Amino acid sequence: MKKPATWLAFSLFIITGLLLFYRIFNLGYPLLPAAPGQTWAISIDLYLETGKEGARVALGLPVEQSGRMVVEEKISAGAQNIDIHRDGPNRIGIWGIPGTQGESLVNFKTTVHVSPGRVDKNERPSPRSEPPPGGREEQDLAEQLVGGWKNLPVPLRIKAIAATTAGKWVDPPPGNPEIQAWAAIRERLGPDLALMLLFHAAGISSRSVSGLLLVNSVVRTPLRWIEVWDGQRWERIRPDSGEFWDPKFNLLPLIYGNRQAIRVVGGELHEVRYVITREPISDWRLYFEQSRRSDRFLDRWSLFRLPEDFQATFRILLLVPIGALMISALRNLIGFPTFGIFMPVLMALSFRNTGLEYGLGIFFGVLFLGYAVRRALDKLRLLLVPRMSVLLTLVISCFTILALVGSKIGLREFMAVGLLPFVILTMVIERFFVLVEEAGAVAGIRTALGSALVSVITYFIINWEPLQLTFFLYPELMVAVTALQILVGQYSGYRLMELFRFRKLVGS
Amino acid sequence: MMLRLAKKMREAGILGMNRRNASYIMGWNPRSAFPLVDDKVLTRQVAEKYGVPTPPIFQIIENHGQISGIEAALGDRREFVLKPARGSGGSGIILIVDRRKEGFVSQSGEVYSRDEFAYQVSDILSGIHSLGGQEDRAILQALVHPDPVFAAVTHQGVPDIRIISYRGVPVMGMVRLPTRASDGKANLHRGAIGAGIDISTGQTVTAVHRGEIVSHHPDTGNPVSGIPVPFWDKMLLMAARAMEMTGLGYLGIDLLIDREHGPFLLELNARPGLAIQIANRRGLWQRLEKVDKAPPEVFATPQSRVEWAQKEFKV
Repeated sequence: MKKPATWLAFSLFIITGLLLFYRIFNLGYPLLPAAPGQTWAISIDLYLETGKEGARVALGLPVEQSGRMVVEEKISAGAQNIDIHRDGPNRIGIWGIPGTQGESLVNFKTTVHVSPGRVDKNERPSPRSEPPPGGREEQDLAEQLVGGWKNLPVPLRIKAIAATTAGKWVDPPPGNPEIQAWAAIRERLGPDLALMLLFHAAGISSRSVSGLLLVNSVVRTPLRWIEVWDGQRWERIRPDSGEFWDPKFNLLPLIYGNRQAIRVVGGELHEVRYVITREPISDWRLYFEQSRRSDRFLDRWSLFRLPEDFQATFRILLLVPIGALMISALRNLIGFPTFGIFMPVLMALSFRNTGLEYGLGIFFGVLFLGYAVRRALDKLRLLLVPRMSVLLTLVISCFTILALVGSKIGLREFMAVGLLPFVILTMVIERFFVLVEEAGAVAGIRTALGSALVSVITYFIINWEPLQLTFFLYPELMVAVTALQILVGQYSGYRLMELFRFRKLVGS
Repeated sequence: MMLRLAKKMREAGILGMNRRNASYIMGWNPRSAFPLVDDKVLTRQVAEKYGVPTPPIFQIIENHGQISGIEAALGDRREFVLKPARGSGGSGIILIVDRRKEGFVSQSGEVYSRDEFAYQVSDILSGIHSLGGQEDRAILQALVHPDPVFAAVTHQGVPDIRIISYRGVPVMGMVRLPTRASDGKANLHRGAIGAGIDISTGQTVTAVHRGEIVSHHPDTGNPVSGIPVPFWDKMLLMAARAMEMTGLGYLGIDLLIDREHGPFLLELNARPGLAIQIANRRGLWQRLEKVDKAPPEVFATPQSRVEWAQKEFKV
């Protein structure tokens, strides 16, 4: 920490950190933007019979929260008016259906993106929890039943209570008469209410949820489960067996509380169908939708606000500094020989169009042909600038021929050759020649291979989509890249290659 | 393993490329002084001012129009050297040992017709050999006849001596001996060998050849160590003066020893390489650190610096 450069790098890290912190914790940006998320389309079809007066349908709809995002919602064409409103933790859509005297179809489509994420603070249980189900008598009995488990830690207490559903009572078990009395109550209240009553008695927040298990399927009735707050997150319990839903299952709540996900007034419901299908929607589109709907400053200045055809350029551009950072590291920490810093970056960019195999093939082909021509030119004793022009013309002629051959045999990669950096390629030929002359063919080929390898690594970095997405969402990461570049820039220790070069001097 | 090796190298005081660039070249060599060492004409001018001998230049060719006047300028000299003023790594240098009716005879026996020779000069002028590709000047310089001291360990060509000076103190030296592989050029990259020289005694020690430590010349088979380098004290003094001449604190000084005239300063290098450490089997960093700790009176004159170096730097 003695050098100003270190301080500068350190402050740049802090700046990046603060911006990231603000975005993630205040604006709710994802911690890992490219974390494996899933997008599901849920189509809800209702067939119902309406009377003359028309009917009203109330439908529980998915709620947005961290880790869950409603990408798109629509009702079928020619549909009736819809009114969506919040009701406590629920989002309810209410349709008014005109009287038709016959069966009518109501269709609602919603697309939801779910990703494993942290729990938002507004998803924690509210202090005013639901009033306990059952009467005074039932509550007293429940308190007696769970009284023995007061000192267990919360997760164990939850397990103990869940196990009662299957008739298992852990130590210390309540007395036999109480258990029998409870069985009768359970019969009367139903398994979910009975469970919630026990949780309430044990001082644990719980709620009853009706929703869908997200797997490709067609479902007629929503699933019911109990969510229990264990202090960190909501555990999900099957009320019929007392088993826990593994967190790997995606359950989509439609309605909270002891309510039905669909209620019809003034008509008769004939059939309900939830069609659940996985959608291959891209992450890019997802964040695009999210930022488009937001009015916050950083969202308005997000790269996602660029027209889509310009976005593509910036996806790549934002990663080029990482390529440069990597080249500096390879050169100064390892001692890797390359033809300059820009050549591998530009090659990597052009490989995107030609593909890796063809790009490398063309690179080496043109390089060796150029070398042969350069040797011949040497005998002609041309002046420097005209000689370079000849090489440039040669490179462009090669491109032209390749493109024509490509179009004849229908190889797109050859036609994309024009995007290779011809100026850089010309200079590489010249530098390769000088290097071979001055330091020998081995050094020349080593540097050419080194450059090619670095281009390939850079190519993989700039084409790695999760990284593209991360930088696109958090462009401030470039500040951190700068900091790393500064740190590499002031490394004055040995390069890896020098350890080999000078190892004889220390006798090993 | 790597970390242990790095630690051992640090303890042995070996200088790496990153530290050379960051601490010594950037720390002691102002950019503004680089043209002085990159251009041999300028180097000679300033060397003359400080009484440091360089091979005589009898013609500087600045533009293509002057090429036709070369023969007149040469007068009746039969031998000379053609080189670019801003060349690097020995490229573009031709040693002419005789002139005949059909043209110029080079040291390797090749004959250049007048036209071919004019092309060579024209190449130099257009900057083919110059460091940044800028236009250049061609120099016609007196040919140096190497002192026979290294004859047994030289394959053709002219051996040269490299001394590294830091803040005007000569810290390490070596003699570069051409081999068959290096084609008579005293260039380590091309396969010449470099024999370390003990600063205090002026005797050669072990040598480096293609990065490996060797004790004998690969072509002649003679041992490279134990050869006393003539004019050693004088050359150390020339190296020490180079700091005052150029204002550069970290310098490679290249010298030749002429059979009749003694040592000549050939050229200066503001980014001298690190292979000299292998030739001497000693780390440069440790010596540079030692110089930094020297008492201030050491730096008073070139003589005092050389004296101190000969006392401190024994192999």
